[in-house]
Amino acid sequence: MTLFTIDKVRKTFKNGEVEEEILKGINLSLKEGEITALVGASGSGKSTLLTIAAGLQSATDGQVLFEDQNLTTMNTEQIRKLRASKFGFVFQFSHLVPFLTVEEQLLLMLDIAESPLKKHEQQSEVHRLLQLVGMAHRKAAYPAVLSGGEKQRVAIARAIIHQPKVLFADEPTASLDSQRSQEIMQLLSELTTTLNITTLMVTHDEEMLAYADRMIKISDGAVLSNTLY
Amino acid sequence: MNLAWKEMKKNKVRFLILGSIIFLVSFLTFMISGLANGLSQDNAAFIKDLPQGQFYMAEDADGTFNLSRIDSDLQQEVIRKEKEAVAFSMQMGFLNDQDDKQQSVAFVTSTASTLFSTVYQGEVILDSSLQDKGIQVGDILTNNQYNGKFIVKGFVAQKKYSHAPVAYISEEAYEEMYRVKDKQLIYVPNSEPQNFKGLQAYSNKEFLNTIPSYNAEQLSLNMIIWFLVVISGLLFAIFFYMMNVQKIGLYGILKAIGVKTSKLFNMIWTQMVIITVVSLVLSISLSQLVNLVSPKEMPFSLTISTCVFSDWLYRSYVVRATD
Ligand SMILES: Nc1ncnc2c1ncn2[C@@H]1O[C@H](COP(=O)(O)OP(=O)(O)OP(=O)(O)O)[C@@H](O)[C@H]1O
Ligand SMILES: [Mg+2]
Repeated sequence: MTLFTIDKVRKTFKNGEVEEEILKGINLSLKEGEITALVGASGSGKSTLLTIAAGLQSATDGQVLFEDQNLTTMNTEQIRKLRASKFGFVFQFSHLVPFLTVEEQLLLMLDIAESPLKKHEQQSEVHRLLQLVGMAHRKAAYPAVLSGGEKQRVAIARAIIHQPKVLFADEPTASLDSQRSQEIMQLLSELTTTLNITTLMVTHDEEMLAYADRMIKISDGAVLSNTLY
Repeated sequence: MNLAWKEMKKNKVRFLILGSIIFLVSFLTFMISGLANGLSQDNAAFIKDLPQGQFYMAEDADGTFNLSRIDSDLQQEVIRKEKEAVAFSMQMGFLNDQDDKQQSVAFVTSTASTLFSTVYQGEVILDSSLQDKGIQVGDILTNNQYNGKFIVKGFVAQKKYSHAPVAYISEEAYEEMYRVKDKQLIYVPNSEPQNFKGLQAYSNKEFLNTIPSYNAEQLSLNMIIWFLVVISGLLFAIFFYMMNVQKIGLYGILKAIGVKTSKLFNMIWTQMVIITVVSLVLSISLSQLVNLVSPKEMPFSLTISTCVFSDWLYRSYVVRATD
């Protein structure tokens, strides 16, 4: 079942006088529960496409459809609400909030998503998620003292604690060595499968494709190939 | 979740530095304001504490009251017309106490008025600062241009002129000491300027500004204060700006995961308000403490209202600078 559709999306950036078309009419759809990998050369517009899909920036033309909603016609507050409740994000560098403990990072996310859970329920939910990613023992630690892999585990926990429908990941393993990358991808694919989360992931790493259900290759601002494994 | 507070708790040192800068600079501003105020009191409390009104001096004195001589006929005329009017003169000089120690004073003599102390021949009423120098009621003081003696009748608070305590003496004594019968000035309280032939009217403020030392002193101090306010405002704005520039990435992440923009602004403003309020409360209390414990000889006067005023100035400036 199609959960997410990107329809003829174009994006042009103005660099001074020069207008540059980075995305030249992209079509793709995400099937529920699948992990879709987005690959392509550096500068081909992968991150740009991901942020447009996630409603972090708007498309110059075309439509972004999620369930029965059209992101291109929504106002910023509506998109923010959607992002806060239905989307999760993992970035290349974990981008945790430096002044919050591991536990607080996740509580903040529940807070943003306006979770209906009571305080102690939130705390046990946080604990559950941290156990899932194997970080429960570092609950009280601040990001500065965590290793890259540990940070990324916390970032993953933060991205899914509010039970989003779609997870957007921009090179989630690029800052990690090969061993850690495998672990993180393993974790990510397990979690998204059990929680039935649809994932769009940008990656550079060939090895990571093993965890994807589908690979979309973009080149020169257009979809080059769409392969289902 | 209170992000503003959480961040301040985690990054104590950073916020402490910012706070102490505001604290130090505002404390300095308050101290200099206090000093300026104190000096101006010390320099001209005698004039400053008079109610708003008009000062008249002879036109040909050209704004220098020391050179002013108001003809006694003219004086009579003004006093007849204005019941409250008082003619007076002042002149710097010395009083010798019983141990022959010289005290610099500003001699003041006036026609009868409730605004000035009334003294009879052979008496003197002094500013209370001389009490701290060991002079007491009943002491006998002398002046080398005056044949008689002055008996100290009493003390009055806060009567200073040109950094010297005021000594009220009788018209006769003044005339003997300075060999002039004419008064230098006529003061009419609570009145609008009027035209008297040969006299020039000055408001209280204008008159204060004719006193050269007062003018120069206040001008330079006020300039320092303004510079301090401007510099501290800029400093604070720059610091705060830099702090937030460092956090632009963080704000981006928070926005990406769905934090409301208004919540981010709240966070920034809460932090700024907390820091400024805490540092200003501290610096105001400390400057008030200085006000209390500073030695009496130190010209320092800082009322809460001065603080609150400069505080207001300071903050409206900072708010504008950071907007
Ligand atoms: N805000 C912007 N303004 C102008 N140009 C931009 C902007 N954002 C991206 N671009 C340009 O769009 C192109 C695609 O950028 P994008 O970040 O999407 O590439 P990418 O495929 O993610 O590359 P990488 O694999 O290196 O991360 C680049 O040439 C970039 O310079
Ligand atoms: Mg990229």
